Amino acid sequence: MTNQALYSQISAKWNNSFNRLNRGEPGISGLLSFSQAWRTATAFLYPQDLNDPSSYKEYSIQDVRASFDTLSKSKMLPLLMENFLENMRQQQYLVERDIQKYMTEYEAAGSAEAIGRLLFRLVDWYKAWSPIPELGTTLLSAYTLAFQTYIYSSFPPSFSRGFKDLIASTFDLVNASCPPPWALPSEPQASTSAAPPRPDLPLWTACETLGLLDRYESLIASVCYEYIEAHVLNTCAKKWDDSMLVCLREWMAEKVVPWMVMPYARGARNAEEARSMLQGVGSRFDYHVCKTLCDLRTQEIFDIIIDYPDSQPALQDLKECLARVDQRSELVTTLRKANKKRLLHPGADTKDILTQYVSIIRCLRLIDPPGVLLYKVADPIRKYLRERPDTIRCIVASLVGDGESGDSLVDENEPIQPLQQKQADDFADANWEPEPIDAGPNFRTNRPTDVISTLVSIYDSKDLFVKELQVLLAQRLLAVTDGNYERERRNIEILKIRFGEAALQVCEVMLRDMTDSRRIDQHVQQQKPMPLHPTIVSRHFWPPLQTSSFNMPGQFKEIQDAYAKEFHIFKPDKKLHWLPHLGTISLEIELQDRTINAEVPPLEAAIIELFSSKDTWDVAELAAEMKVDKTAAIKALLTWMDLGVLKEEDVNHYKLLEVAEEAPAGTKTVSRPAVVIEEVSAVLTVQRQQAEQMKVYWNFIEGMLTNLGALSLQRIQGMLKFASGYDRTIEQLAEFMEAARREGLVTVKDGMWKLHR
Amino acid sequence: MDQITSSLAPRASAKPSVAGAGGDPAGSVTKRLTSELMTLMMSTSPGISAFPKSDANLFDWAGTIEGPAGTVYAGLKFKISINFPPNYPMAPPAIKFDSPCYHPNVDINSGGICLDILQDKWSAVYSVQTILLSLQSLLGEPNNASPLNPDAAAIWDSPEDFKTQLLKYYRPICDESSD
Repeated sequence: MTNQALYSQISAKWNNSFNRLNRGEPGISGLLSFSQAWRTATAFLYPQDLNDPSSYKEYSIQDVRASFDTLSKSKMLPLLMENFLENMRQQQYLVERDIQKYMTEYEAAGSAEAIGRLLFRLVDWYKAWSPIPELGTTLLSAYTLAFQTYIYSSFPPSFSRGFKDLIASTFDLVNASCPPPWALPSEPQASTSAAPPRPDLPLWTACETLGLLDRYESLIASVCYEYIEAHVLNTCAKKWDDSMLVCLREWMAEKVVPWMVMPYARGARNAEEARSMLQGVGSRFDYHVCKTLCDLRTQEIFDIIIDYPDSQPALQDLKECLARVDQRSELVTTLRKANKKRLLHPGADTKDILTQYVSIIRCLRLIDPPGVLLYKVADPIRKYLRERPDTIRCIVASLVGDGESGDSLVDENEPIQPLQQKQADDFADANWEPEPIDAGPNFRTNRPTDVISTLVSIYDSKDLFVKELQVLLAQRLLAVTDGNYERERRNIEILKIRFGEAALQVCEVMLRDMTDSRRIDQHVQQQKPMPLHPTIVSRHFWPPLQTSSFNMPGQFKEIQDAYAKEFHIFKPDKKLHWLPHLGTISLEIELQDRTINAEVPPLEAAIIELFSSKDTWDVAELAAEMKVDKTAAIKALLTWMDLGVLKEEDVNHYKLLEVAEEAPAGTKTVSRPAVVIEEVSAVLTVQRQQAEQMKVYWNFIEGMLTNLGALSLQRIQGMLKFASGYDRTIEQLAEFMEAARREGLVTVKDGMWKLHR
Repeated sequence: MDQITSSLAPRASAKPSVAGAGGDPAGSVTKRLTSELMTLMMSTSPGISAFPKSDANLFDWAGTIEGPAGTVYAGLKFKISINFPPNYPMAPPAIKFDSPCYHPNVDINSGGICLDILQDKWSAVYSVQTILLSLQSLLGEPNNASPLNPDAAAIWDSPEDFKTQLLKYYRPICDESSD
C-alpha cells in the first residue's frame, strides 16, 4: 500500500520533470534537444583559460541563442547559472595564478606598473568570462559580484600598497603626452582606433570595471590628500614673502581638478555636469589645502613673527585659512609653546623679548583683529616681562628712541597718541559686536591700541615709567657736554603727548635746570672768568644723585668757593650744594721736567692736588684726608701711576715723580691716551631708589610697633597698606625685618615682632 | 596757640568745603587720615607717635606720648586712644588717655582731656601730629585755670609732691598687654 502510494508519487514527479524537459515534444526528442542545448550552453559559458588559447572554441551565436531559448523554456536557466558560477569557482585558480605572478613582479621591482598590468589582465579575464548580455542582467550582475569577490579575496595584503602607488602615479600620467605601454590594455581593441582622449582613461576604466573605485574610495582620496600635503610642504615651507594660498588654488585648478575628473566625474557628459559632480569632493580637497597650509604656518609661526613685516603675505594666508579651518586654539598653543621655549628664558635679552612681543602684537592683530588670539598668547609674555627687572628701562629707552640701540620698538610712522586708558563699555555703541566665541572670561574687547599703550599696560601704573624716565633723562642730561639738549627736548615733547603734561612736569624742570645752568654760568663767567662750569640742578625734581662725602682740597676748593660766592650774588636766595665727585677735570700738571695734560674724575684730581703739598703719601693718610675709603683712593693712585706721575715706593706708600723715571726695559710704556674718565653713573637706579623707599616703610613699622606692641608678620604686612605705594611681598618684608633684627632694631619671639628697647 | 589758629583758619575753611563738595565723605576722610598717617610717620618729632589699631578701621588709632624732657613727666610714656568722627576733620577726634595720667587737665579715672583745641577751638587745619604735639606740651604746661583734676592742679606748684602723686598712679606700658 505504502509502496503503491510512493510509486505513484515518484512517477508523477518523474512525468512532471520529463514533461518540463521534453516540452511536450514527441517521444524523447525534446529531451535529446535539451541535453544538446545544455551542453552547448555550459560549454559556451565555461570559463576558459586565457593562457591556453587552444581551448578556445568558436560557437555559432545562433546555436548558442537557440540553446539558451531551449533552456529558458525548460526553466533551467537558474540551474545553468549555478552551474556556471560553480565552474567559475573551479577555474578561479587560473586568475589567482595571474594575480600572484604580477604581485610577485610588483614586490620584486616595487614598481606600480606591475599593478597596472595586473589590472588590465584582470579586465581581460573579466571580459573573457563574462556571459553575453542576452542572458539578462541577473546573470551578469551575479557574475560581476562573484568575479569581484574572487579577485578581492585573492589580492595579497601588499595589493593596497601597490594600488596606492599606482593611483599616485596617475598624477603624472594625466599630463603624459602619450600613455606608457603598461598603461594600455594588453590587447588593444581594434575598435579603438583613435588614441584614447586621456592617457589615464584606460586605467581608470579598468579600475571601474573591477569595482576598485568604490572599494578603495578612501584610499584614492588619501592619495590625493598626500599629494596635496607633499606639494604644500614643498612649495610653501619657509616661503613667507608671497601669498601662497592663491598659488595653491591655481595649482589645484591646474593639476588636481583635471585628475579628479577621472575618479570622480568620469560619467559626466559635459563640463556643467562634471562641475556639479566635483563640487563636494572639490571642497573637501580645498579644505585640505587650507588645513595643510594652516598646519604648516602654525608650526612656523614663531619664525614668521620674527620675519615680520616681510612675512605679511604668510600671515594673510594664515588668516584666510583660519577662517576656513578652525584651528585657532592650535595656533595659540603652538605659539605659546614656542614662546616659552624660545623667548621667555633667562638667555633672551629683554630688548629682544620686547621686540618679539611687539611683532607678535602686530602679527596677531593682522590675523585676528579683535585680539582674542593676542590676549591668549600675550598673557605669559606680559607676566614674564613684569618679572624682569629691566623691562621698564628697555621700554623707556625705546620710547625716547635710544640712538645707539638702532631699531626702535615704535614705528616712526605711527602717529603719537595719548596712552589709552581702559574704557568702560559703551552701551550706546551702535556698532557693538559680541566678543568672539573663543574669548576667555577675562578678555576685554580693547579697541586696537597702539603698541606703546600695550607695553605700558604691562604694569598697573604708568608712574613706574615716569620714574624710570626721570632716571634715564637725568643720565642723559648729565652726559650731554656740548649743551645741545634739542634731542631731549623733542623726546619730552613726544612723551608729553603720551603720558600727559602733568606726569612730565618734573622732566620739564630738569631740562630747564640744564639750560638755566648754562645761563647762570655765562653770567658768572662774565663777572669773573673761572675754569669751573657747574651744572646746577634742583634737588627736589631730580632723581637721587650719588652722594659722596669728600671735599675738594686746595685750589679746587678755592675755585668752588669763589664760584659759590658769585652765584650767591646772582641768586641771593639760593645756595649751592656741591657734588664734588661728579664731573670731570682737565688738569695740566707741571712737573720739573715735564707737563702732563690729563682729563680725570674729580677724586683723581683731588688726590694729585694733595701731592702738590707733600711728595709722599700713605694710602691710609690720603683716605683719611679725603674722607674716602681706601679702595677708592688706591684706584685714583693707580690712575696716576699709569700716567707715570706717581710711584709706589713701598707697600701703600706713594711718591710723586718730579723727574720722570726711565721705564725699565720690558715694562709697559705709557702709550694709552691720558683720558681716564669712566662711566660712573651719576643717577641712582630705580632699584636703589626702592631700597631708599624701604626706609620709609621702616618708619611705619616703627610707628605700629610703638603703639600696638608686638605684632605678627602678617599684621605688619596688613598694616603697611597704609603706606602709600607699598607693594612688597610678605617674603620681602620678612627679609627686611630679619635685616632689622640683625641691626638690633627689633626682636622676635614666637613670631611676634617688637621694638628692641 | 590762638594766634596760630586764627592765622591758619582762613586757609582751613576753604579746604573742608572742597572736600564736602566731593560727595564722597568717607573716601575723603580715609584719604585725609592716610595722608596724615604718612606725614606723621615721615616726621621725626621725638616722643610722639600714633598708628591705626587695625588695618580694617582707619578711624581708630592708638598713640604714645612721651613726657617732655625737663618736666616732671620726663621719661614717662602714656598710651592714648584716638577716635576720629566720620565727619573728620570738620569735628575734632575724641582723645583720651589709656594709661592713668595724673595731670590737672586729665581725668584720672576716665582719661578724658580738657584741651581747647579738642573742643571749641578745633580747626580743620589741625592734624594728628599737631594734636599729639599739643598734648605733649600740655603735659609740661597745664592750664590750671580749668582743671579736671583739682587735686593735681592744687599741688602743681610743688613739683616734689606732684611727682610723688604722679608716680603713684603711673603704670609703665607693657607691650604684651596691648596685642
